[in-house]
Formats: sequence, structure tokens, C-alpha cells
Amino acid sequence: MSDLETQKRPSVFARKDVKQTVYLWVIFTAIIGYVSATVQARSMGASASETMSTTIHMIRVFTWVVAPVAGLIAAMAATTLIAKMHFGDTPPDEADHQIRNSPRATSTWLIVSSLLCLFAVVWGTIVLQRDNAAILDPAAMNVNVTGQQWVWNFDYVDNGTVRSADLYLPVNKPVVFHVTSKDVIHSFWIVQMGIKIDANPGYVTETSVTPNKIGIFDIRCAELCGLYHAFMQTKVHVVSQADYAAWIKSQGGQA
Amino acid sequence: MTTMMDRPASTPGHSAPKKALIERLNIFTAFGLGIIGAIVFWYLAKAILPANTDGSYIKSNRDQYVLLAMIGWLIGFMTGIGALVGPFRWLLGKDLSHEENLFYAGKDQGVKRYFRYTTDHKVVGIQYLVTTMVVFFVGGVLAMLIRTNLGHAGGGWLQPQTYNAIVGMHGIIMIVATIIMVTGPFGNFIMPIMIGARDMAFPRLNALSLWLIIAAIPCILSSIFLGGIPTGWVAYNPLASQGPPGQDGYIMFICIFALSTMVAGANITTTVIKMRAKGMTWNRTPIFIYGVVASVALALPAFPFFFLSQVLSAMDRATGSTFYDTRGGGSGWLYENLFWIMGHPEVYVILIPAVAALMEMAPVFTRRPLFSFNMAIMGIAGISGLSVLVWAHHMYTTGWAPLLNGPFMLTTELISIPTGLLFLVLIGTLWRGRLWMTMPTASIYALLWNFMIGGVTGIYLSDVPIDGALHGSMFVTAHFHYTLMGAGLTGAIASLVYWFPKMTGRMFDKTLSWIGFWFVQIGFNIAFIGMFLVGLAGQPRRVGSYAALFDRGNMITTGGAYLIMSGMLVLLYGVISSWTHGAKAPMNPWFAKTLEWSVPNPVPLENFDVLPVVTSDAYGYGKAQS
Repeated sequence: MSDLETQKRPSVFARKDVKQTVYLWVIFTAIIGYVSATVQARSMGASASETMSTTIHMIRVFTWVVAPVAGLIAAMAATTLIAKMHFGDTPPDEADHQIRNSPRATSTWLIVSSLLCLFAVVWGTIVLQRDNAAILDPAAMNVNVTGQQWVWNFDYVDNGTVRSADLYLPVNKPVVFHVTSKDVIHSFWIVQMGIKIDANPGYVTETSVTPNKIGIFDIRCAELCGLYHAFMQTKVHVVSQADYAAWIKSQGGQA
Repeated sequence: MTTMMDRPASTPGHSAPKKALIERLNIFTAFGLGIIGAIVFWYLAKAILPANTDGSYIKSNRDQYVLLAMIGWLIGFMTGIGALVGPFRWLLGKDLSHEENLFYAGKDQGVKRYFRYTTDHKVVGIQYLVTTMVVFFVGGVLAMLIRTNLGHAGGGWLQPQTYNAIVGMHGIIMIVATIIMVTGPFGNFIMPIMIGARDMAFPRLNALSLWLIIAAIPCILSSIFLGGIPTGWVAYNPLASQGPPGQDGYIMFICIFALSTMVAGANITTTVIKMRAKGMTWNRTPIFIYGVVASVALALPAFPFFFLSQVLSAMDRATGSTFYDTRGGGSGWLYENLFWIMGHPEVYVILIPAVAALMEMAPVFTRRPLFSFNMAIMGIAGISGLSVLVWAHHMYTTGWAPLLNGPFMLTTELISIPTGLLFLVLIGTLWRGRLWMTMPTASIYALLWNFMIGGVTGIYLSDVPIDGALHGSMFVTAHFHYTLMGAGLTGAIASLVYWFPKMTGRMFDKTLSWIGFWFVQIGFNIAFIGMFLVGLAGQPRRVGSYAALFDRGNMITTGGAYLIMSGMLVLLYGVISSWTHGAKAPMNPWFAKTLEWSVPNPVPLENFDVLPVVTSDAYGYGKAQS
């Protein structure tokens, strides 16, 4: 912009409504980011695996990354609402300009939203790759999961012929689930570990996780599977390595 | 453009006896013949089809009977309404006469034309409006049943079978209602006037699309008496193949509805491409028209997949084929793919016209030009293009093709860029405008708020690892209610208030529109933020009872739902009271510049005496800079 033009048109940031919007932007971004990130993380509760911790972390970061965009729109909307408002059955005066476009605004918007999108894709892909690689971990133990209307059964194939309706897992040991179904589609979901995979009749699907906390957590069916879908739940008992070995022995398997 | 006036009048004596027949056909003969058709087909099927005794996959003949009876219903209904008169005449080698065409256009028939196979786009628009409201009413009652059942812990008073049936019914009914809520009433009534046309390109197809929907609705309602749809609105196989005959009602409903949508899509697209007024170049075509065309044009490739998915489903049920049955070499994943190839474009079929309608209103209520018309078009086009490439993000956790999760995550997240453009256009138009606060204006703000929440939660869900935690939970339910209801339905209700004066000749009661607006928006946000919270905490979708930990969130959601219901009832009362004795509307109550406001109330039969010539776009608001 040449000097002459600068004199004629003062910087946009000198305008009252723009200043107001900038202040509001900062405030709204902070509020939106803090409140929604905190509320969401709190609602998701305690995590029982690295996968779940990563998920909670990602939601927190995505929220903070999006907060400035939401904050900007909220600030602009608030500014237009604070300005003189006209009620009535006839229209107010025409606006005092006929601006139809602003190449600077639209190109900035496009570039910023593309960068944000790129960030989401790249980070998502990195985490996804890590999750996928975990399925191939040769050190992992294997559990076969069979869904049927409306129960889960778990076969500990590395430990002989042990079968249970509650899932038992040793802490800090990677486990790969081989999931299938006897009748309709179910979805195997360990809530606090943040993993989920459908159980399809006739196919075996896989997912993996490493529990990192001792305790009892929830398994629910996440795909409508008929009459008692709501009750197709069980528990996962994450126990120490020694307790796990003892449990396997008590069930007649070899640890 | 050919108008009816251009055609030579045939001799009155020749057409008099035929005219008598088409005059006698109306909605009552349609229902009568439809029921007769259903009964006849039922007994024919029973008499002719061999009984199943060989222990194949078919458990009994009931699905064959039910499906055939519904086909009989459709044939009877369409005959009874008069849809076959035109094609039949063609077969005989003579087209309808001038008088008959005028009759079909509903000339001088008063209220009766709303109950006939009327081709006038304005009549079809009103018929769509009433149909949409009826369907929403049914879906809303079902929603309230669901929320009431979930109001207190440990399940409620509904049996699991009933609860599952209600959830599926609510889902599919609302999906269909939202698909038709903008392109049906406003795409038919307003769009042709807005582009300066006398009618649609194919007026009879227009009537056909409307009456197909009306024929489809009894199919889905009959499901209530046939065991319901206890499969959710997606009706995944093989669960659906276990379902009661209510499932056949779902199948026929979808098939007929898909036909209707394809017919309407071809019609609207052709109309907009071929029949815009002289001088209405693409640069001068209002943005609402782009929204409507994008919506129906997306439906054109999407809905054949829906149709196909259900035809295969019907064959599995009735003929023992095994498209979706692994025991016979089929796959449930095939169904999921077919379904979502329709299912993801479909959400934008719903969303785009609603957002475009609000974009159309934004300049009117800010008295300044639409900000960045080109970006608005790029946004709509970008969303439409990408939306056919994202379907498998509904299937991240199905295990169907884990290798494709990455690419589908990419295409899905790319949609955030054109979606962002829609925000830019709306907020850019509000910015530095002279705000005229009406209920539609407030709806623009409501859309920005709701769609922001819906959009951002969509980004979480598009991320594969996060989806692993949230898929199939109430979080997803809340997310798509924010987009389809918070954004889509908000836009549709604003459209109703905005175009009400042109469609009914009366103003929508201002006070009622505001009361309804606040109840619905506040209730909506309470209800679905509560639902986000229980979803994050791990409540699965479509469950009739839940762990005690979700008590509070569900209580909040149910409370919000009752607020929504109150607001909706206020709006419904507003529609009825304003329609019957609202204040007479002036020709152009909003002082807007699009063509539909340049025709008198009520809009004459062929809209324009002299077809308009367009010399600029419709957004020339604001004082010219000196």
C-alpha cells in the first residue's frame, strides 16, 4: 500500500468496531478454549490406557486450536449485535457501504483454515499409524472376542482353552483382540481405554491396546444389535501380571 | 419457454368425457384405490406364491406378502391420484388437451387443488410444506417418547422392543423430513419465481415427486403395526434381516422416497439450468438457487445407492438371496458401504439448502450486499464435491478396510475448508451491516452458534483415533443433531417465517415467532450439550436404559427436549393462526430484491404476466460510496 493510500485510509485496527472485536476475540478464545477443553476432558473421565490418554489430549488440543476461530466468529457476531439494532416492520437505512468482497480477508481465511486442516490431518495420521503398528506387535498377547446376542465371550488363546464372560487383562502388556460375532454386528468397546471395533459375523477384525492402570473398567456394545443391546455390557478386570497368571491357572490354563 | 397459453386449444367436445375422469380423482380415490391395491396384491400373493417349507434362509412368506401388498398400494395410490393419466394418454398417442392442462395446473379450483395431482409449483410447494410439518410432528412425538423414556435411570417405561422400534422410526422419519424441509416447500414454491420462470421444467414430474412421498408415508407408518424398525434408522444387515415385517415398511418407504427424490432432483436441476429469466447469468443467480441445486444434484448420484441397498435388502428377506449374509457369501459391509455412499452426501443434501436460505436472507436483514458471493459458491461446490468421497468415515471402526481410514480422514477433514467459507460469508455479511432484527436474522446467529459446535465436534469425529473412543456413543447423536437440527432445521424454520408472506399472503405472527425461536434454541442447546457430556462419558447410542453415571446428563437432555417441544408447539400454533387470520402481507414485506417479491399476493397462476429481464444480481443493498 502506498503512502498516499495509507493517509486516506487509516489502519483498520484504528476503527472502533475492529478494536472492540479484537478485545472480544481474545476474551472469547480464552473462555471457549478453557471451558470446552476442561468440560470435555472431565466428562471423559479417567483413562486406563495410553490410547485413551492420547484421545483426551487430542480433543483438548483440537479444542484449543479451534478456539480462536470460534472466538473470532463469536467476537464478530457479538460486535454486530452490540451495534445499533433495528426492530420494526420496515427496514432500517441501507448500510453505508456496498462492500462485496475482500480478497485479503478471504485469502487469509482460506490459508488459515487450510493450515488448521493440515495440522489435524497430519497429527491424526501420525497417531493412527502408531495405533495400527501396535496390532503387529509380536510381543502382544492375543484374546479372541466373540459377540453374540447379547453377551461377550473372551478366549485367551495364548493360555490354552480358557474362556470367560468378564475380560481379564494383565497391566502394561500389549494385547491384540481378534473380534468376531456369531449373529449380527456388534461393536466391542472398552470405554476407558478408548478402543472400539465392530464384531462382524463371518469376519475377524482386530484392534489392540495396552492397559496401564489396574482396576475394573466398562465394556459396552456400541452397535445396535437387537432387543437387549442396552444390556450387552461386561467388565474388564485389569490386574497385575502375577494376579493374571494366578487367574489363568485357576481357570485351568497355562500361564 | 413454452407456456400453456401457447398451445392450441383443442375442441371442447372432444375432451369433455375424459375430463370428467381426471376431475374425479383426488386424494380420497388415491387412498381408496391404494388400499384396494394392497388387499388385492396380498391375496394374489397368498394364492400364487408357494409356501416356504424347505428350510432356506426365508423363515416364512410374510415378507413376500407384505412387500407385494405395499407395491400394490403404491400402484393403486398412484393410479387413484391420477399420476398415470398422462403417461397412459401418451401410450394412446394423444397428449392432454389445453383445458386438461389448465385443470391439472389447478386453475379456479380453490382449496380442492391441494388434494389433487396438481402441477402448479406453488400448489406443490404448499403440499410439501404441510407434508413436511406433518412428518416433523410424527418424528417429534417419537423424539419426545424417547426422551421421556430416557428421563430417569435404569430404563423407563418402554419395553426394549418398543424403544428400539421408536428410535429407528424417529431416525428415518426425521431424516426424510429434513431432506425435504427446504427443497420441498421453498424449492418448489419460491425457487421458480426467484429465477423468473412460470413453472418447473416438468410440472407433472413435480406433482409425481410430491405424491410419491405421500404414498411412501403410510408404508413407514404401517411399520408401527408390523413390529416397528428395531434397527436404528440405518437398518444394518444382518440385524435388519432378523427384523419383523415392519422392516419391509422401511424398505418400501426408502425405495419410494428415493424415486421421489430422483424425480425432484432431475426436475429442479433442469429448471434452474434451462429456465432462468433473461439476463440471469450464473453471476446474478441468487445463492439460494445454488443451495437448492447443489442439494438435489447431490441427491441424484446418492439416492440410487439408497434405493439399491434396500432392493437388495428386500431380496434377502423375501427371496432368500444372500447379498448381506456371510453364510451365503454376502457381507454386512456391502450394506454399510451402499448405505453410507448415500448417507454422507445426504447430510449435505439437508444442510446446504438451509444454509443457502440463510445466506439469501442475510443481505436483506443487514441491508448490505452478500459478502463474497464467489466464496459462497465455492463453499457449496466444495462441500458437494467432497461429500461423495467421505462415506467410509462412518465405518472407521467397522474393520472393513483399516488401510482406507487414513485417506477417508483426509477427505473428511478437507470438508472443513469449504464449510469454513460458509461461515466466512455469513459473518462477513453480518459485519458492518445495518442489522434489522427479525426472527430470521436471529436464526443466522443461531446457525453460526449451532453449526460451529456441530462442525467442530465433526472434526473430532473425523479423526480416526478419537472416533475409536466416540463412535457409536451419544456424542455422535449430539453432533449430528447440532448440524441437522441446530443448523438445518433452524434455517428451514427461518425460511418458513421469511417466505410465509409470499406463500400464504399473510405475515407470520412476530411475537409467536420470537417465543418459538427462544424456546427451541435454548432447549436445543441444553438438550444436546447434555447429550455431548453423556456421550463423552461413554453412553452408547440407541440404548433404552443406562448406567447410573449418566443420570444427570440424561435428565438435562430430557428437560431441554421438553423446552424444544414447547417452542415447536408455539411455532405450530403460529403457523396455523397466522395462516388463517394473520395480518395481510404486502407484496414485499422485507424490501428484498429477489424476483419472488416482485409478484403480487396471491401469486397468479403463471407467476409473471411478462417474464422479467434481470440486469444485476439481487444484492445491490447499501449506499453507493460517493
